[in-house]
Amino acid sequence: MTAADPVDRLLATARGEPVDEPFRVTGVMVQYYYVCERELWFESRNLEIDRENATVVRGTRVDETAYSDKRENLNLGMISLDLLDDGRVVEVKPSSTLTEPAEMQLSYYLWYLDRVADIQRDGVLAHPRERKREPVVLTAERKDKVETAIGGIHEIVSQSSPPPAEEKPFCDSCAYHDFCWC
Amino acid sequence: MDRNYHVFSDGRLERSDDTLRLVPDDGGEKQYIPIENAEAFFLHGQIDFNTRLMSFLNDRTVALHVFGWEDYYSGSVMPKRGQTSGKTVVNQVRAYEDSQHRRQLAAAIVRGSIHNMRTNVVYYNGRDHDLDDIIEELEAAAARVDKELPVDELLGTEATARKAYYRSFNEILPSEFQLSQREYNPPPNEINSLISFGNSLVYANCVSAIRATALDPTISYLHEPGERRYSLSLDLADLFKPVLADRVLFRLVNRNQISDTDFETELGSCLLNESGRKTYTKAFEETLERTVEHPTLNRKVSYQYLMRLEAYKLKKHLLTGEEYDPFQRWW
Repeated sequence: MTAADPVDRLLATARGEPVDEPFRVTGVMVQYYYVCERELWFESRNLEIDRENATVVRGTRVDETAYSDKRENLNLGMISLDLLDDGRVVEVKPSSTLTEPAEMQLSYYLWYLDRVADIQRDGVLAHPRERKREPVVLTAERKDKVETAIGGIHEIVSQSSPPPAEEKPFCDSCAYHDFCWC
Repeated sequence: MDRNYHVFSDGRLERSDDTLRLVPDDGGEKQYIPIENAEAFFLHGQIDFNTRLMSFLNDRTVALHVFGWEDYYSGSVMPKRGQTSGKTVVNQVRAYEDSQHRRQLAAAIVRGSIHNMRTNVVYYNGRDHDLDDIIEELEAAAARVDKELPVDELLGTEATARKAYYRSFNEILPSEFQLSQREYNPPPNEINSLISFGNSLVYANCVSAIRATALDPTISYLHEPGERRYSLSLDLADLFKPVLADRVLFRLVNRNQISDTDFETELGSCLLNESGRKTYTKAFEETLERTVEHPTLNRKVSYQYLMRLEAYKLKKHLLTGEEYDPFQRWW
């Protein structure tokens, strides 16, 4: 028997159906898929990141403090997302650099809600430090893109070793920097 | 985040609001210790503490290393990290069980260890000492290191090299401080006791470095797992002893900063007294804070951080299969 399509396997895992090899994709894995494939592979192995890393500390702080009175955490098994009090899904990021990865992370949440829980919601990408909010809607095009990404993620995390290190402009601020380059 | 604090007095270590306070037993002044930049506390005296302190240290990911009778390392209280990694431990064990893989890692550690011993001898060779024969012996030992050798032979090669290396101490140090022979439990003379004390500090720092990753400190490659204490820490400490402990020893003794008044000598044993330990740890901590330009990280890193990087390198090797290249002093 050939391995099932990654999207089907992910959906079966999320719905709690019996699966030979469960396949889980978290929101942050979708983000890393667009940022750095090596980081995605590390994340898939639960590799501990340097929590004292300045960027991580800043991101955690922004996430914990922004709109704290207006949102509610919703844990859905493999994903955990925040709902605003108007029902939209919000993803908080400290800055608007690397917008596409953040948009795709949010798109994945919307896709997951739609496909797993049959709930249709809109999203909002928030950059509180820049006082910016952008709406994100799950269009047909975004749905396709999410499903392509799931296939791509599956391919990377199935490898027994990570893609080789590749120097990128944001490597310096990455929590895996020293681990990657030592 | 990387300062070590050593507490030599007896007393009580406690949380006081959002910082730490040391209350000495002798009624001396209370001392406040900033926790923000602390990596670990080394307790050399008799210290009381409670669970409130433990939770606080845990939140701030600060370790406690305890030294007991005659300042032997007796254990650590480590922060529970946010994440542990079963996968890391599984891979660690797999590498141990695969005898070829284990030999390869053990050989790498011995190779790095001999290289770092040799660097010390070469440094002193030009300075009024003739150590050519010892350098030759170390090179001969290094040439025997092969990843095909069984682990006990690799251990034997390391021991032979270390024996030759320790002979250089008698040349490097003034005649009133001679090592003659490496002995411990208890150390019979001054140099042996300095080596033992220094090694225990290197060892405890390696424990901290390992615990900052999800590596299991009891699964090791050169030493037998769990043989004594945290055996993975023994593996890594071998690489760092020449760079940290031995250089501090040479410096302090040759500059007369340590003298016979810094020891307590009893029948068959010789140990550093409190003033000796203070002098030593001060110089040791200064060494940990020294920095060196790192060839691949493109920044300066402290000697202390080199131990953390070593744990990262090992973990990376175990998880990704990318080659493990042992720490070899490059400067």
